[in-house]
Amino acid sequence: MNKRLDVLICGGGACISSHSHELKKSLLRAIEDKGLTEEINVVETGCMGPCELGPVMVVYPDGSFYINLKEEDAPRIVEEHFLKGRPVHELLWLAPEARKIVEQKKQIPFFEKQKKIVLANCGRIDPDNIEEYIGQRGYEALGTVLTTMKPQEVADAVERSGLRGRGGAGFPTGTKWKMALQNAADQKYLLCNADEGDPGAFMDRAVLEGDPHTVIEGMAIGGYAIGASKGYVYVRAEYPLAIERLTVAIKQARAYGMLGDNIFETGFKFDLAVRIGAGAFVCGEETALIASVEGKRGQPRPKPPFPAQKGLWGKPTIINNVETLATIRHIFNNGVDWFASIGTEKSKGTKVFALSGKVVNSGLVEVPMGITLGELVFDIGGGIPNGKAFKAVQTGGPSGGCIPAKFLNTPIDYESLKQLGSIMGSGGLIVLDEDSCMVNMAKYFLEFSLEESCGQCVPCRVGLKHMHSLLEKITNGQGTMEDLEKLESLAYTVRASSLCGLGQAAPNPVISTLKYFKHEYIEHIQNKKCSPGVCAALYNAPCENACPANVDAAAYISYMGDGKLMEAYFKHMEHNPFPIVCARVCPAFCEKKCARGKYDQEIAIREVKRLFADWAIDQGMGFTPPKKPKKERVAVIGAGPAGLACAFYLTRLGYLPVVFEALPVAGGMMKVGIPDYRLPKDKLEAEISVIERAGVEIRLGAPVDSIEALMAQGFQAVFVGTGAHQAQPLSIDGSELPGVISGIDFLRKVNLGETFDVGADVVVVGGGSTAMDAARTAKRLGAHNVRIVYRRTRTEMPAQLDEVVDAEEEGIEMDFLANPLRVVEANGKVSAIRCIKTELGDFDDSGRRRPVPVSGSEYNIRANLIIPCLGQKLSLGLTGGKLNLDRRGHIAVDPLSGATNLPGVFAGGDAINPSTVIESVAQGRLAASHIDKFFGYEGKLFDRARQPVVVAYDEEAYLKTLPRHLPHLERAESRITKMAMEVNRGLSLEEAIEEARRCLHCDRNQPAALKPAAASAPRIEDML
Amino acid sequence: MKLEDLRKIREKTEKEMVLRDGKARVRVVVGMGTSGIAAGARDTMKALLDEIAKRELKDVIVSQAGERGLSSSEPVVTVFEEGKPSVVYGNVTIDIARKIVAEHLVNGNPVSDSVIEVNG
Amino acid sequence: MKKDMNTHEILQKYGKDAENLLALLHELQNTHEQHYLSAENLAAAAAHMGLTEGYVYGVASFYTMFSLKPRGRHIVRVCQSPPCHLMGSTDVARELIKVLGVSFGETTADGQFSLEMSSCLGVCGVAPAMMVDDEVYGNLSASRVHEIIEDLRRVK
Repeated sequence: MNKRLDVLICGGGACISSHSHELKKSLLRAIEDKGLTEEINVVETGCMGPCELGPVMVVYPDGSFYINLKEEDAPRIVEEHFLKGRPVHELLWLAPEARKIVEQKKQIPFFEKQKKIVLANCGRIDPDNIEEYIGQRGYEALGTVLTTMKPQEVADAVERSGLRGRGGAGFPTGTKWKMALQNAADQKYLLCNADEGDPGAFMDRAVLEGDPHTVIEGMAIGGYAIGASKGYVYVRAEYPLAIERLTVAIKQARAYGMLGDNIFETGFKFDLAVRIGAGAFVCGEETALIASVEGKRGQPRPKPPFPAQKGLWGKPTIINNVETLATIRHIFNNGVDWFASIGTEKSKGTKVFALSGKVVNSGLVEVPMGITLGELVFDIGGGIPNGKAFKAVQTGGPSGGCIPAKFLNTPIDYESLKQLGSIMGSGGLIVLDEDSCMVNMAKYFLEFSLEESCGQCVPCRVGLKHMHSLLEKITNGQGTMEDLEKLESLAYTVRASSLCGLGQAAPNPVISTLKYFKHEYIEHIQNKKCSPGVCAALYNAPCENACPANVDAAAYISYMGDGKLMEAYFKHMEHNPFPIVCARVCPAFCEKKCARGKYDQEIAIREVKRLFADWAIDQGMGFTPPKKPKKERVAVIGAGPAGLACAFYLTRLGYLPVVFEALPVAGGMMKVGIPDYRLPKDKLEAEISVIERAGVEIRLGAPVDSIEALMAQGFQAVFVGTGAHQAQPLSIDGSELPGVISGIDFLRKVNLGETFDVGADVVVVGGGSTAMDAARTAKRLGAHNVRIVYRRTRTEMPAQLDEVVDAEEEGIEMDFLANPLRVVEANGKVSAIRCIKTELGDFDDSGRRRPVPVSGSEYNIRANLIIPCLGQKLSLGLTGGKLNLDRRGHIAVDPLSGATNLPGVFAGGDAINPSTVIESVAQGRLAASHIDKFFGYEGKLFDRARQPVVVAYDEEAYLKTLPRHLPHLERAESRITKMAMEVNRGLSLEEAIEEARRCLHCDRNQPAALKPAAASAPRIEDML
Repeated sequence: MKLEDLRKIREKTEKEMVLRDGKARVRVVVGMGTSGIAAGARDTMKALLDEIAKRELKDVIVSQAGERGLSSSEPVVTVFEEGKPSVVYGNVTIDIARKIVAEHLVNGNPVSDSVIEVNG
Repeated sequence: MKKDMNTHEILQKYGKDAENLLALLHELQNTHEQHYLSAENLAAAAAHMGLTEGYVYGVASFYTMFSLKPRGRHIVRVCQSPPCHLMGSTDVARELIKVLGVSFGETTADGQFSLEMSSCLGVCGVAPAMMVDDEVYGNLSASRVHEIIEDLRRVK
């Protein structure tokens, strides 16, 4: 079903006259010749626009736009592009207009992967005109059923079709009908449940509004099958338009004899009435719904007796959902076998899903059962907006659960979702991205169920309330691990002992988030942190919360708005002693969460920081060593960001630590991993000297053999920040040849001043920061052709976008969707690298599509130097067997203190988890504080009550659309000529101050300020 | 009513779906489900009717329908013309609605920037 | 809405069976100047259907859409479903509090607007959304909310 390529040939009038049909035939022939028929989908579309360039053709997913094609071009395109993955350049249209059309047509998967049965008429026919419905075979099924089938045969047919209730539980509809048919009674009822209460589901409303007759017809057929003469449609009052359209449709159906006393002159009698709810979620439960139709309080009652035995006014009653009823007529129009051929073994037909939340194409989609979650979210839904990462989908509303990224390949049907701890429910599918907090989400749904609880039974009424108060505690940062245990056991109790389905299912959102996202609960409890920045009680400003080291950007940006550089600098130093470094190389987690981005653009926090950081160094700002140092002696192994940060904060706690560094230079990866053009060496050295002046002794060229040796020298605590300087190997044939060198080794040699002949043709393998650094360094060392080979696409590259753009500007070429196979050797030297094209297949655990090799697409890239940049690993020279390691071979630490298994030994930085400078800084600082505690002190660092910074400039003047200031860059042609030329020249002081003034001061927004007096329904305000 | 009568209505309507009473050349359908209305479909409908009236187009029918599903592209407008693929427009603001009348209905050139789907 | 219709006329439209109670209460509330069910309304409905006043009160108080206290001429209801929440209903709520000068559950001093929360309005594809009387508005931003309320104030 999921083909590798979609080829759209324009079938507009102009293209047809320029022989697009012949082109299509020739293309299909060539595709067949190459045996690619199964992999390539060729469709003819309506006019694409550029008629004068016809025939035109667009190929997805890459979006290549071919123009002026001739019949004879087809075999070449098939061979080169479809088979080998190399678009035929000279036939492509590269004008900006082409991009635009490609983007537009990209939405086609939204429609193409759908199979519209229930929704076929929605948006096409006028719902207020019964004749338009009849024009679409309307009421034909009813006529056929009444004139040719017995009730038993109708119920049998529906049972054989495999149709299951679309309202949630998935009970076979035909079986349900048979139960009612067998119960003889003078009066029976058929109810349509249109009390669509699940938040996030709206297919029933769309059907009632867009095609009400299809529900009426389904009900009349159902009434005939079970022997009911009267039906009710119970619609929620939130849907006034649906009520109106349905009421009109019922009147018309009566006028045309589709409802009434003698339908199709067969003597069959059936009529319908509309009942309107009044805002009670529990009325979606069938016994509660019956009570409400009777005009009572909508409270559920215990079953049995089941409604099929004793329902409305004590008579046998069948309750079907809107979508189920809307499916019925199609089974009779197209046949039982046709219906049963769609879907999976146990789940037949199509299902309508309501896609909402963080997804590009939101709305209703109808797909065959068995489509995967990934196809739904990424192909039909178009993926996550704004380049954010997918986190989970929530299905089944408050009775359902969440499904994380690692299950994106799951085919959707009733059973598979249940197995994952969620449910199909009515088809609401809320997409959550990295900015969603799962604890908050669980609380949100629980609140919903709590408020909708009818209060009859104790587990639901009291249990949910207790669960909710525990969740409140946790999201407010006051929860304990015992609370978490209590929450979990309560959840299972409520599930087991509640009276009705609502209560039994209410704990599901908690249970499923505990199953897949327990770490988020633990973060709220132990770290008092909500990383996505949702739980307002746990942070001051989104920027500060997003920073791994919690550097208070809101404060220093406010200082900068008033030009207070010194205050800004010292505020920064409280959490991170590397402002110069981080202004240049940090991925800026803070900016990604900046609230200003919702209005116009995020604040350029990094660029503002750079101004005060450089200024402070020029001014000689710094710290003095502790006057009365503590007597305990602490050693730090490794002068990288983690070790130096740890040492610096140790001086602030009163120690005079000694740092042992094996290399002849200080700085670790900041020195030997990051090239000069991104981080000038003199700047780095100046920043390190601030740390030395604060009371840190750095011994260079001083490798440490063992922790015991240090202890023997009189050190009572040790911080291990040895980094991870060994490269992950490129495990392919020929990777041992001279001419293959890892990115880490290459950059270290160059940064330590070794001369290095890179030759003319360099290939870099990988898509991270190291790959960009290696490629750009090679270019500066004189390589002619530098090409990066990456197995996924540009979007998935782990490197920061600005690095990728800079590299592209510098003439670095990139082969996306390609993977190396082996190194090609000539005369004992590297002569090329053989690669294979990949395509993105199903999803891996991280929710990214897995690159899969395309057979027959091998090709060579000429190379004399190959630089694999595939990540780093720890080299175990120091640690021996004493330190416990984690599964990946890094030093295992308690994440809350940085303590290892050895008393007095702490660790941080790449040695515990290769990551960024700022994360290493955070780990070093944390360990410093806990080393102090280890010696019996308080471990308090700059522990003052936080106060938002008051600013003097006119804030109002900046509350209009103002674009972000962009830094000045050296021109690409000149910068590639000199290794030491810093590419980014930053902002001027005036620009930086203007930029800082764009800050919205989120840290001032006291959550309580806008709290309403009324306590009736305080949900949204809680989040203000 | 018998099945036979139903069939007659169906045949009649099938023709009418495109050309009501044989007089219309084009049928313009506006998605008027709640999502459409919430996104401004009433204004879109008004703009279409107004522009059609201003240009005195006699062979155009405007009618309503429910929603097609792609909520993020509401308001949605579909143009049906006999013998041509139907063209679906998304995010049809008042301005785009007027443009559709002027360029597509009058001159026969679809407003390609706003097309989200072409059928048939 | 036919505001001039009196209670008696409304009652006559409905049968005396209890199954019509919800529909009757809806209409009584919708036609009331202050959009609520007064004690007189409840008594009249009970008498019409031969039910006790306590029973009718029990039903009316069970459903969240029935109000037993006076409300404004326009009912502004913000959808509080998770999709709306994810797409920024907080900003919508904040703006409404600002523009109307009342909190949720309150009515403006001039009796024009009541501000309420609503369960899912079923327009998740155009979230965040709100409903003013019977009209639903989607794809809201703070400025759009401002415009809508100002427009409603003008038509008065």
